[in-house]
Amino acid sequence: MLVEQKKIDEAVATIIGFGGTGILNCVQCGACSAVCPGVKAGFPLLCRNLIRSLLNGQLEEIIEDSSSWGCQACNRCTEVCPQGVRPQEVVFAFRRYQANELAFSTSAVTSQMNLYETGHAVFTDPKELRRQVGLPEVPPTSAFNKQAQEEIQALIDNGPMGELGLF
Amino acid sequence: MEKIGLYLGCNIPLKAPDIEQSIRQILPPLGVEPVDLEGAACCPAWGTAPSFDLDTWCAVSSRNITLAEEQGLDIMTGCNSCFGVLSEAKHFMEDGERRRTVNQKLAKINRSFEGTSDIYHIAHVLHKKVGMEKIREGLKFDLGGLKIAVQTGCHSLWPSDVYAVKEENPYQPTILKDLCEATGAEVPHYSRLGACCGMGGMRSTDMEKSLKLFKEKLVSIKEETDADMIVTTCSSCFLQFDMSQPILRERGEIDFEPLPTFYYTQLLALAMGCDPSQVAALSQIDRSAIIARIQDEQRLIKEVA
Repeated sequence: MLVEQKKIDEAVATIIGFGGTGILNCVQCGACSAVCPGVKAGFPLLCRNLIRSLLNGQLEEIIEDSSSWGCQACNRCTEVCPQGVRPQEVVFAFRRYQANELAFSTSAVTSQMNLYETGHAVFTDPKELRRQVGLPEVPPTSAFNKQAQEEIQALIDNGPMGELGLF
Repeated sequence: MEKIGLYLGCNIPLKAPDIEQSIRQILPPLGVEPVDLEGAACCPAWGTAPSFDLDTWCAVSSRNITLAEEQGLDIMTGCNSCFGVLSEAKHFMEDGERRRTVNQKLAKINRSFEGTSDIYHIAHVLHKKVGMEKIREGLKFDLGGLKIAVQTGCHSLWPSDVYAVKEENPYQPTILKDLCEATGAEVPHYSRLGACCGMGGMRSTDMEKSLKLFKEKLVSIKEETDADMIVTTCSSCFLQFDMSQPILRERGEIDFEPLPTFYYTQLLALAMGCDPSQVAALSQIDRSAIIARIQDEQRLIKEVA
């Protein structure tokens, strides 16, 4: 594979900009991949493999790969990494790069809409179930609380998520 | 009575309110008063703001934390994901520059993050603040002779450097084991104890990969422990064990009946004599037989009864 320094610099700067600040500490030892449930389940581009691709300057080339969305965010990788890379932050930085290019599955849009409208990423009308178990129908959360919802909307609107045209 | 902010998250109040009810019923007799955090929103879940922008994540998490700060309370959550997301956000907010940026966002909704509230999982509150002795004293039924396989879940274990309460060894967690043993039940070890159940982003991204991981864990539990039930302190793991065992059974991928699964506070509430129609009412897997065994009158502890 032909490796271009300019592409490497661009990939590294992108990942660091999205929060994967430890990427350059990686020595490709693979401890992260050894404990990663996503790697075990068969996602091809997580932990060591993802970092290797990025350090080879691949970014656009792998933008459609869904592995990063299979990351469980469990942070086993962060716990074992001997170099302080915090590999999960690199995986999430790559995911943020994908998300900001709208390279994510349409199924992920629903939870963004739910969060924006109700303050809950997972939302179903709970009233009947809550009544059944003897709780007040309306939970003390943002679910039916207009002021809380407006606060969440303000926080989302005032950032990159608000500029994606999802809401 | 010690007060603590009850942060509910999404799944517990909206999909599994019997877990919420169990939390609300067990705490006061154990000397803890849960205080509602009115208007609390999603933590926000890993697949939402954390997947788009670090500062938006920190802003939404910090807003939730300020709801406890303004009442002078620590936060307790029953959801592992919420515990992980809030703890990590608080960790990120230790960076002065980030805190300034995020507080500028929060100022627009008249809030300010101060970092004065600690984040606890309910398992930590029960284990460290309430303690095993008090739990044992509150029991109405002794669960001796019942066998439990425990599932701690990922997000209260790693990365240990951001958590207020840590396991001695996160790969061999013992907090939930201690809590279950306090009921009198037996908690045998199994080899995949520290393994992921496959719920979360993995399940929504690729259900077959998720089920593959789940099956390996489940079979390890069944073959190595032959447990009567599974008990977890993660509401997402609870959903995976409750939803996915029937799928594997239906497909003929497992040759045993699904193991009834409880969130820990449901088990404790049942052992304390609470009404199952309120504290353990909602599940795909039929739990009536094991609930009857838990609340069998032969298990009554005489002094309490």
